[in-house]
Amino acid sequence: MIRGIVIVGTLLLGVGVVAAQQDLVAQRATLMKANGKNLGTVLSATAKGDKPYDQAAIDAALNVLEDTAKKLPALYADSTKGLKSEGDFQASPKIWENKAGFAAEIDAFAKAVSDVKAKAKDLDSLKASLPAIGKQCGSCHEGFRVKT
Amino acid sequence: MGARMLRKLLMLAVLAAVAGFAVYWFVTIPGTIPQSALAAYTPNVANGKTVFDAGGCASCHAVPKEDRTLLGGGMALPSPFGTFYAPNISPHPTNGIGNWTEAQFATAVLKGTSPSGEHYFPAFPYGSYHLAKLEDVRDLFAYIKTLPPLSGRSREHELPFPFNIRRNVGGWKLLFFADKPFVPDPKQSAAWNRGSYLVNGLGHCAECHSPRNPLGGIVSAQKFAGGPNPEGEGWVPNITQKRLGSWREKDIAYFLETGETPEGDTTGGIMTRVIKNMAQLSPEDRNAMAVYLKSLAPVDGPPRPPKKETRS
Repeated sequence: MIRGIVIVGTLLLGVGVVAAQQDLVAQRATLMKANGKNLGTVLSATAKGDKPYDQAAIDAALNVLEDTAKKLPALYADSTKGLKSEGDFQASPKIWENKAGFAAEIDAFAKAVSDVKAKAKDLDSLKASLPAIGKQCGSCHEGFRVKT
Repeated sequence: MGARMLRKLLMLAVLAAVAGFAVYWFVTIPGTIPQSALAAYTPNVANGKTVFDAGGCASCHAVPKEDRTLLGGGMALPSPFGTFYAPNISPHPTNGIGNWTEAQFATAVLKGTSPSGEHYFPAFPYGSYHLAKLEDVRDLFAYIKTLPPLSGRSREHELPFPFNIRRNVGGWKLLFFADKPFVPDPKQSAAWNRGSYLVNGLGHCAECHSPRNPLGGIVSAQKFAGGPNPEGEGWVPNITQKRLGSWREKDIAYFLETGETPEGDTTGGIMTRVIKNMAQLSPEDRNAMAVYLKSLAPVDGPPRPPKKETRS
């Protein structure tokens, strides 16, 4: 009887752990999408002249990006290696083969965001500083993201 | 009668084979640009850099992970026909192009023929580059000459028979290499023509953004309509208005500068290298490319294979 409970309990625990890992993968996708939305519809839209310059909106969007940079490392835990994501893109196995390189990309992203935060005070300074963020997004996507 | 008839037939067969080979040899003669075609000219090195950036030379010829001006080659370019390794095109006298004449360089870029008179494989996108103006190619040569000479030699291409026979590339050229210069369309704006020149010629966008037939020729009816990634996994997007209909000209220009789509996604994979080149161009040139791309009629690309099921 006790043995039965232990076995069932272990199995449930196992299912729970796997579900939690898959949840991390889903969180990554959600976070990346939110990131892109803030970049595309707020920051870049302002730089392109589609939206009037609004310092509060710029700061709010940059805060989301900053927050993302902090959350990213934990979302690529070893336990999520090999798990597939829904959608068009997957995390490359290189993330776990070259951990230092991946960590450096996230650090560079965080730095790019804080640079823009310090510099973006009007449309011209936003236009001049913002491309560094997109460049960093591209740099990491080049090596660590796979299109399916 | 038997023996005589047989000898006659044999003679005919030999003659046919000789004639066939002569035709093959004749039609596969590599094209060249003679020194005499190059009039006296003072190259514009600054424009040479623009040509270099527009042509994406650094994407393949720069030493992997090094600065874009270090053209020692070595990058592997996988394809359905084997793996190519980009050669050293730095101005090194023996291992690069330091000892090449201007005519040899123009011949390489515009005709796809090496200084020793052999065909280059079309992994070198002369199928697009041949549209470049001769002056632009001369400026490019002058610009590359200003870059550091590097002594490295890249590996030999890894190609199985019969793809390793360079002479056969002459047959490929006969089928797929339209050796005609770029002709501007007087009905279109100057920006459109500049964009068409950059997209079709130097930018060689169609080389990846088009499906290819089994012999590696671009399917002209589906030019720019995307297809399987020629370098391996994944899918290269359709860049006709079929897919970019909702992108405005300035969205395309902004994407070429930053790699960022209107939705805020940022491109990855091999396009990242392309963006690094496009980011070096003038805003006017990026805008011209956008004007041209926006004018492409919507064309359906080849059907995408169904996505693989989620596997753990």
